[in-house]
Amino acid sequence: MTRPRGLALGVVVVAALAAVPRVARTDAELNFLFLVLLSTTLAQSWNIVAGYAGQVNLGHAAFFGLGALTTRTLWIGGTPVLLAMGAGALVATAFALLIGVVAFRLRGAYFAIGTLALGEILRITVGNVLAEISTLPAATIASYRLADRYYLALALAVATLAVVGALGRSRAGLGMQAIREDEEAAEASGVNALGLKLLALALSTALAGLAGGLFAYYHISYYPSHPFGPHWTFDALLITYVGGVGTLHGPVLGAIFYVLLKEYLAVRWVDFHLLIFGALFIGIVLLLPGGLVEAAARLRALAGRRAP
Amino acid sequence: MTLLTVERVSKAFGGVRAVSDVSFTLAAGELVGVMGPNGSGKTTLFNLIAGALVPDAGAIRLRGRDLAGQASHRVCARGVARTFQLVRPFAGLTALDNVLVGRLYGRARERRRAATAEAERLLRLVGLEGRARLRASQLTLMDRKRLELARALATAPELLLLDEFMAGLNPTETESAMALIRRLQGEGVTLLMVEHIVWALMDLAQRIIVLSAGEKIADGAPGAVAADPTVVDVYLGSAGAGRA
Repeated sequence: MTRPRGLALGVVVVAALAAVPRVARTDAELNFLFLVLLSTTLAQSWNIVAGYAGQVNLGHAAFFGLGALTTRTLWIGGTPVLLAMGAGALVATAFALLIGVVAFRLRGAYFAIGTLALGEILRITVGNVLAEISTLPAATIASYRLADRYYLALALAVATLAVVGALGRSRAGLGMQAIREDEEAAEASGVNALGLKLLALALSTALAGLAGGLFAYYHISYYPSHPFGPHWTFDALLITYVGGVGTLHGPVLGAIFYVLLKEYLAVRWVDFHLLIFGALFIGIVLLLPGGLVEAAARLRALAGRRAP
Repeated sequence: MTLLTVERVSKAFGGVRAVSDVSFTLAAGELVGVMGPNGSGKTTLFNLIAGALVPDAGAIRLRGRDLAGQASHRVCARGVARTFQLVRPFAGLTALDNVLVGRLYGRARERRRAATAEAERLLRLVGLEGRARLRASQLTLMDRKRLELARALATAPELLLLDEFMAGLNPTETESAMALIRRLQGEGVTLLMVEHIVWALMDLAQRIIVLSAGEKIADGAPGAVAADPTVVDVYLGSAGAGRA
């Protein structure tokens, strides 16, 4: 898709989404779209480090969790929610940079395993220190409006897509892609690999922290360790790979597909969607490394050849 | 005027002395060849100059400023570019983006518009016109070598290190690679090249440095080096030297 056409389509879709709360008949529809938007943001944030800079981060839930924990604590304590979310993003990013300087000494599978361990350590620690369920105060529940959460989710998803879109065309984005392709050759071409990997991680975790904050603002009651659970990381990974890793619209397509499948299947078979997505992930990595985005491009090429 | 000074540089891997007490200088604008049998330390020497390895001892200076121990992206920013023995283009990026990386980073650090124009000029210079939009993975071996050369040139180097640029090419491709290397001197680049194709090196280089077991055993004009009994001995053994 050409850039002006893609942008025009984006504007139309966002305008339509903004109108949904006025026309939706039930909260279920709004809730479904909220989950799509949250998943888009989380997957896209993961995509920055993994898809663009080529560093598979399996501890992404840690940053989502830190954002959720910080936001929830401050917001229930009386801080305005946007400010609390900003603080959540800051905490997530600060922690990420601290970890990143060490973790980026590891390459490939070692980086993936190191970050996975980090996420799990944080989840277990939070689960032990904050063992009690976190529930919103009665007054907050009474004034709870899903539409507020929905608009925030829409704004965050749009902002995330704008950030990644701009990154993809920027000098820094090109440098990150060079690192993904061959770190040593990138260094030999003048790219400061560690600096750019830290930048990618900072952007990625700031957005993950905001997504976590949104979750904390949205969910009425949960255990504080829940947002640190590894499924947040693997949701982001599956969505990104199924949609198209290293692309702007891949995580959007992946998120729609994933949430649809999940909501539809969860009604009957609880966690059956994980099995399907796991199989799909293996199939895509082996047969269609570009995900749904590549499948769409191939179909278009095929249709173009058939047409007279 | 001296561009590069390598002074008593050594590098060992465990007990193996890969480069041992090597010294030489390069004048600006020179094209110098490095040869030697397999394992004689040529690639290690390149990695030391390019910042991929840190020397155990000795100094490497570019225009008098020390390079030894600097990270390779800093060395590149100072004006030293390289190609790899086995080509390493950014496979998933287009040819144009490959060269843009060198132009936007490296020593030039131009704005996007100027960088794109220069990247396109370099693609034409190396003979890749019309292939700018192809991914590097879609190019032939020779074209990937051309691309790597363009990417290295894009960093605006004063010194370019070519590591076995002609390895794996057929005779026709070797001829065009030699023509290309001659054209590089017109770009004002000083060249240091490792090469196994001896006749090509003899033809191209103004001076040849010979390494054997990590030590420099000869340094001089191609004719003189070829006639040097120590060099003949290293390449052909003492029986060969006896016959010659």
